[in-house]
Amino acid sequence: MSESVLLFPSLVPLFAQTTSNAALYTFVLYTAAVFVVAGFSNKLLQSRSFVSEYFLGSRGLGMWAFALTFAATSASGGSFTGFPSLVYTYGWIVALWIASYMVVPICAMGLLGKRLNHVARISGSITVPDVARDRFHSPGLGVLSMSLIIFFMTVNLVAQFKAGAVILQSLLRDVEIFQSLATIPLFEGVNSQYLVCLLLFAVSVIVYTTYGGFHAVVWTDVLQGFVMVAGVLIMLPLAISQAGGLESASRQLAEMTPPRTGTIKVALTEPAKNAMVIPAGTWLVMPSDRYLDEFQQWKGPEQQRLAQALQRGELTQGQYQRLEQALEKRDDEIKQGPPYRLFRVVHQSVIAQGQTAPRARNGEGQLIEAAIDAVELTTPAQIVDQLEKQRDHALRAAQAQLVDVDNDLAALDSSANEQREQLLRRKEHLNERIAALESKERFHENPLLLNYPFVVSQPQMRDYVTGAHEKGHYVSGPGPHSTEVLGFLPLSLAVSFFFMWAISGAGQPASMVRLMAFKNSITLRRSIFTVAIYYSLIYFPLVVIFVCARVLLPGMEGSADQIMPDAAVFLTHQIGHGWLAGILLAAPFAAVMSTVDSFLLLTSSALVRDVYQRNINPNASEKTIKRLSYLATLLVGTGAAVGAINPPEFLQNIIVYCGSGVAACFLGPIFFAIYWPRTTKQGAILGMLAGFGTHLAMYVLGYFINGSLSRPIWLLGFDPVLVGLAASFLTVWVVSLITPKPPEELVRKYFYKNDDNPAAAQT
Amino acid sequence: MSVTKNDRAAKPEYHPVFLHGRREMVFIVLVYLGALLWTVPYCYLYGYPNQAEDFGPDKLETVLGLPSWVFWGVVVPWIAANVVTTFFCFFFMKDDDLGPPHEGADLAEEIAEMQAREEQGR
Repeated sequence: MSESVLLFPSLVPLFAQTTSNAALYTFVLYTAAVFVVAGFSNKLLQSRSFVSEYFLGSRGLGMWAFALTFAATSASGGSFTGFPSLVYTYGWIVALWIASYMVVPICAMGLLGKRLNHVARISGSITVPDVARDRFHSPGLGVLSMSLIIFFMTVNLVAQFKAGAVILQSLLRDVEIFQSLATIPLFEGVNSQYLVCLLLFAVSVIVYTTYGGFHAVVWTDVLQGFVMVAGVLIMLPLAISQAGGLESASRQLAEMTPPRTGTIKVALTEPAKNAMVIPAGTWLVMPSDRYLDEFQQWKGPEQQRLAQALQRGELTQGQYQRLEQALEKRDDEIKQGPPYRLFRVVHQSVIAQGQTAPRARNGEGQLIEAAIDAVELTTPAQIVDQLEKQRDHALRAAQAQLVDVDNDLAALDSSANEQREQLLRRKEHLNERIAALESKERFHENPLLLNYPFVVSQPQMRDYVTGAHEKGHYVSGPGPHSTEVLGFLPLSLAVSFFFMWAISGAGQPASMVRLMAFKNSITLRRSIFTVAIYYSLIYFPLVVIFVCARVLLPGMEGSADQIMPDAAVFLTHQIGHGWLAGILLAAPFAAVMSTVDSFLLLTSSALVRDVYQRNINPNASEKTIKRLSYLATLLVGTGAAVGAINPPEFLQNIIVYCGSGVAACFLGPIFFAIYWPRTTKQGAILGMLAGFGTHLAMYVLGYFINGSLSRPIWLLGFDPVLVGLAASFLTVWVVSLITPKPPEELVRKYFYKNDDNPAAAQT
Repeated sequence: MSVTKNDRAAKPEYHPVFLHGRREMVFIVLVYLGALLWTVPYCYLYGYPNQAEDFGPDKLETVLGLPSWVFWGVVVPWIAANVVTTFFCFFFMKDDDLGPPHEGADLAEEIAEMQAREEQGR
């Protein structure tokens, strides 16, 4: 940490050391445990049929293994990063957004589970393309299924590797040795910290998945499943109690008005000897009267900018009107509000040596001239409360530094006069600062003390399109939104999401493979019950935790993806058990790891089983298959990791596209294949293509019409996955009816008790 | 036209796993629809005001600290869904014998077909 930062204690994140140690120990312990599990799993591989064991765990999963691998695979990194950030950003309405998780276990496991497992046992299928191919006796359908899985999973894997590296990066951000990596260029154009995290994440996942196969994936999922639920259950009571109870948290949310986001200019009051760091999360203050003066100068040009944006089609009429109205209301809000405005710095920024002009660090790690991104609180009670918290924070930091200075003075050699003078000057400065911070009245008369040695000017802060200046948005629908006129969750989207989690969850091949792996139907029904309880302990409590986090940690809208680690550290530090943060920080890491390992194995199984064994060399020896399986898992993992070094833009959109697209392709054909004897291979093939094509078309049209991959066409307000699924189901049904009936022997084999069906014959 | 004993004997019976699975699938679809029809309309009617300020701090109604629409529209149906899931798992879903896995059966069939084709080719 630079000397300049140490001089200004209000800028030092107090919890950094706690986080760094907890995160580091957690990561090391956790990785060690994962490798032990992989070692045991590899022993199982030696004693059983290799392909069935490596890709399907010999269809022998018991209740805990099946329930937790299913739950952990479904709960991706998004459950512990994206989802908390949504709750934090939009409030209670996210409870409705996630509500269909109440029926996800029964739908995603019960809808297909028993029959899919049964059909796979009859045919001896190991993979989802196997099931499709065997059920219809159609190599063409097998190849199509395999191609779609490889396409969706490979793209998704790159994105998931990136997500894993980013989460690890956020966990280790305060570890000193890790921070020093920022200045070492390892790979041109790539952030060194990101690269090291990607390497650590990729090596650990690829090694244990390759070495241990399906059982390693399943048992690490179990471990990850326990870590996730433990994290949530520890955080829940801490969050509620520290927010003053749930009633108090809800009332405070009702009081809140959405923040403003934009830029501020930060300059030094005088040139400094060293470069000055303004850490992310620093609070800066500006007097309201000065803010008002600068706002009135900025208001005219901003109104012109809005009008031009409307003309260019960058804003809709509705967005334009809302933003205009918000601008008009802002004068009154500032005049009636507290005498100071409060800003939270979004990204770490640096003011270079000897300069008074600010510089900000962009995503690539290069220094460029820029204003600093910030979030401005608009709720008066929050502004007053946060100022008081920052006073307390700065006071404790200054007192801690005074102790350090006293210790240094005591240890100083009597001949070091120059150093003594420096320390005495610093002590004097700290004493003055402590005196000013100790008196609440004195501080609230002049909170600009918090800014020292910076000065804030030219705030260019923009209002939310939905919810600006209005209370109640965080406790009601459709929720506030910075750009959408209809808010976060209009009715059509609420219906879409209720459908999406429950029904499209059943259409994920990674979940289907697990449905083929449980031991018997007793395991299935006990596991559905277990997952129902498990999800109830995770998803709704996460809503409660991050509603409370909104009260406890205001102003994080600009970096809401950080709310999970920040809340974990904050909550545990407040009770004096910072080490607990390690367990909480492991939860998102565990979640993304459990998703990545499943995708990795799914992709390598498609290559080895569906490409090589089913289409190239059915007579391949077990030894060859074994070598190929290890090689494929290793190569797929390495390829995805290399792809993630410099991932394409719009990666988050690609994750969303892949997750919903794969469901649109597979759910219809597999559902009909196991429940409707009349289904034909033509119906299944065209149904799969219809799901793929419709879903893709809505994204492509969205790109051309809305200008963004993240804004696909919404037919009648419904999400592309719904439309894709509808098209797929309809196509399978219609095409099957108009094509000749399927061969009698196939129908008898999979639907009837007869001698052709060995499984049935034994029933 | 009457069905004789021989006709009945000749007509194959559906596999019990298929019949039970289908019955359970219908039950699940009904549970899903029940959850959808409770949760979304309730939340929309009671949680989406014309003016958000109708949900301001003085007007907000809560149950156990949650906005009342969240409690009745999400928490209560969530509990109900868990009760129904429990009923489904322990009283409705049948314990079926899924049969032994026929590992390699599909490959063996394919190899046999390949050999048959090769013989035909000769």
